[in-house]
Amino acid sequence: MFSKLVKKSLSVLALSAGALTLTLAPAAAEFPEKPVTLVIPLGAGGSHDLNARIITSVIPTYLEQAMIVRLTPGAGGQKGTQEVANADADGYTLLFSHNYMDMLQQYVDNLPYDPMEDFIPIARVNYAPASIIVRADSPYETFEDLVEDARARPGELSIGHSGNWGAFFVPAAQIMQQLGLNMNLVPYQGGGPAMQALLSGDSDFTMAFPSAIGALRDAGDIRVLASAGEERLYEDVPTLAEVGVTGDIGYMHRFILAPAGTPDDVVATLSDAFESLSTDPTFVRLMGSLGESIDPMTGPEYQELREQQAVAYEALVDTLTSQ
Amino acid sequence: MIEQFAEGFGMAMRLDTMAMMCIGLFGGMLVGSLPGFTTLMAMAILLPISFFLEPIVGIPFLLGIYKGGIFGGSVPAILLSMPGTGAAVATSRDGYKLTQKGKSRKALDMALFSSVFGDTCSDIFTIMMIFPIAFLVMQFGPPELFAVLLMSLIIIAATSAANPLKSLIMMALGLWLSFIGTDPLGGAERFTFGLFDLKSGIPLLPMLIGLFALPEVASVVIRNDKARKLSALVGERLSLGEFRRCLKTICRSTVIGTMIGIVPGLGQIVAAMMGYSAAKNASDHPETFGEGEIEGVAAAEAANNAVNGPTMVPLLTLGIPGDNVTAILLGAFVAQGLRPGPQLFEEQGATVFAILVAMVIANLLFLVIGYLSVPFFSRLVTIKTSILIPMVIMFAFAGTYVYRSDPVDLLMLVAFGVFGIIAKAAKFDVMPLVMGFILGPSMEYAFGQTMAMSNGNALAFFATERIGALAVLIAAPIIGALLWRRLYGIPRTH
Repeated sequence: MFSKLVKKSLSVLALSAGALTLTLAPAAAEFPEKPVTLVIPLGAGGSHDLNARIITSVIPTYLEQAMIVRLTPGAGGQKGTQEVANADADGYTLLFSHNYMDMLQQYVDNLPYDPMEDFIPIARVNYAPASIIVRADSPYETFEDLVEDARARPGELSIGHSGNWGAFFVPAAQIMQQLGLNMNLVPYQGGGPAMQALLSGDSDFTMAFPSAIGALRDAGDIRVLASAGEERLYEDVPTLAEVGVTGDIGYMHRFILAPAGTPDDVVATLSDAFESLSTDPTFVRLMGSLGESIDPMTGPEYQELREQQAVAYEALVDTLTSQ
Repeated sequence: MIEQFAEGFGMAMRLDTMAMMCIGLFGGMLVGSLPGFTTLMAMAILLPISFFLEPIVGIPFLLGIYKGGIFGGSVPAILLSMPGTGAAVATSRDGYKLTQKGKSRKALDMALFSSVFGDTCSDIFTIMMIFPIAFLVMQFGPPELFAVLLMSLIIIAATSAANPLKSLIMMALGLWLSFIGTDPLGGAERFTFGLFDLKSGIPLLPMLIGLFALPEVASVVIRNDKARKLSALVGERLSLGEFRRCLKTICRSTVIGTMIGIVPGLGQIVAAMMGYSAAKNASDHPETFGEGEIEGVAAAEAANNAVNGPTMVPLLTLGIPGDNVTAILLGAFVAQGLRPGPQLFEEQGATVFAILVAMVIANLLFLVIGYLSVPFFSRLVTIKTSILIPMVIMFAFAGTYVYRSDPVDLLMLVAFGVFGIIAKAAKFDVMPLVMGFILGPSMEYAFGQTMAMSNGNALAFFATERIGALAVLIAAPIIGALLWRRLYGIPRTH
């Protein structure tokens, strides 16, 4: 009877020791030893979703683990962002974000997290440059025509955009701020409806990304007046800088964030995987067929951009909300 | 164009296209029938598969998931009164009553046949009229959308219950619930009491399951007939005569659904409700609607599927996705080197027609797959109540949680469940509440946009170039009043 008890206690001890080694194992084992979750704080079918589907179907080659997309939309992206901010800083929960959600929201809303303190960038994947477009039958032939008319009739021109404080609202507001213009910003529920409003004549101009412009421009339905980008996106269309709008305006950066406090070696493993990903032939082919560019940037490089964005967005929000 | 169509027709007749469509249809049906899993999620997850397939195989595969998923959603709506999407709400109303009467098989068959009929007709109509539809789509801006949504709400309030005051109270409550969260235009927080969990508003899924499924569970438990089954019978299959009797209703709903599909931003939910209301209004026995009328199932299902054809038009002709489903399809098109837009028909006409033809074929394939699966699904309700009820409760909670893994959603589920039980006891119909909740935000957004367009001038709705919006605004209350009088106002003699 007694020996039975001893035997039992010994086996329990052995079991718990085994369990303990198992729990302790991750510290010693190489990251990643289980699938990594990529949280997208936006809805299904958006450009982040589509980009992420390609990333996660190729990155296992370099990460040696699966990467799983989890969509957590809500509260303008704050729900998903908060989820990652609260997650363990072990590299198994990452955030796929964009700059307006990341750096601008803090100035227009009370966030349940601090974007600068709670996150570190892992890598930028790419960016989408916005262009200013008008209908083909619009009286504006050039960006200067548009600016001139906007000056002559303050508050009368209407620009359709994809949502307040979003990817087209912010550059439009920044341009208005830089050039001292006053126009009527009309929100639409996404880039598609904004484009439709332009084509049906409800707005005077709008903004769009290359994937939405391509077919309509080739068909001669719309005209591009200016595009964001260091080099010309379309040969005969000036960049924003060429028409006198300067700074990091009109770029929607797509990048990966990790919770602050993620160990350096884990960050290094993840950064390396994303770096190798950006030259992977399958990745390049799939992104190309989706009409997306690949513009890799390391975490520290992107962090510099974030800091500049924070300053610029704060100034922008101050101007807009003080009116 | 005829040549392109003929070439496209030939391209679509491929064995691997058919096989992948069948896989998509079957998978979509399974996913759609599980509460909490949305068709949209399934499409997003399986999208990369289509990248590695030929366009004429990969895109029909995604379309299969989509079509299968919509029908799948009506399965729990009919069998368990558990609509997973707004589009299935109208179906569950008569569908579940039929299940209780031991006619679940008939209800599922009717849902299948009317879905396929509505979908096929609207697809064929879309193929023939694609350019006129593209023109019509452009005529709808925010003021028109606001007017149409307002009209829809008035019609729903007027037709859903005998007591219009009760309907209006519930609808107002639904509209108020839709205000909770962040103001979609200004970004201000409303009725959130500073709680972060309320910031993104009340989620639809816990509300639907809570309001529709939990009260039914409660009433079975209260009746306390442990040994009995929810329904001992699955009943007979649908007879040709019954289908023929509903054919007029199905055709009417198909026309309504197709028209609503043309208006950007309305979609399946409005179509199902309008189809249902119209059928009830046209019937000589409107009192049977809501009490297990097979025509009600037919009306709702034909209408919500007839939306599918026209919603593809802005995508194909302009490259503009109108909703999330078409946004995923846009991704699939672009990845295949097909750029939807004005030139797609000139450059790739045959492929586009092949995809459109594949849509029609998908419907026919689905008729077969659905017909074979219905007997298995319908057997679900013959499980003993003592096993089925815990299963339903588990599905309700698991489905709510799996949707976005937020424990707060479970609290919402319980809260709406309790509310639903009270409303049922007090004989308040929850349908107007749900419709107000779903359509409220779109209507508010359209109103805000109109105000922004006109710099805050409320007379913008009455501007001469917005004559369509004006007409609908004036007609809406009159139609509503007439409908109510016709349905409930004049005593009927039988």
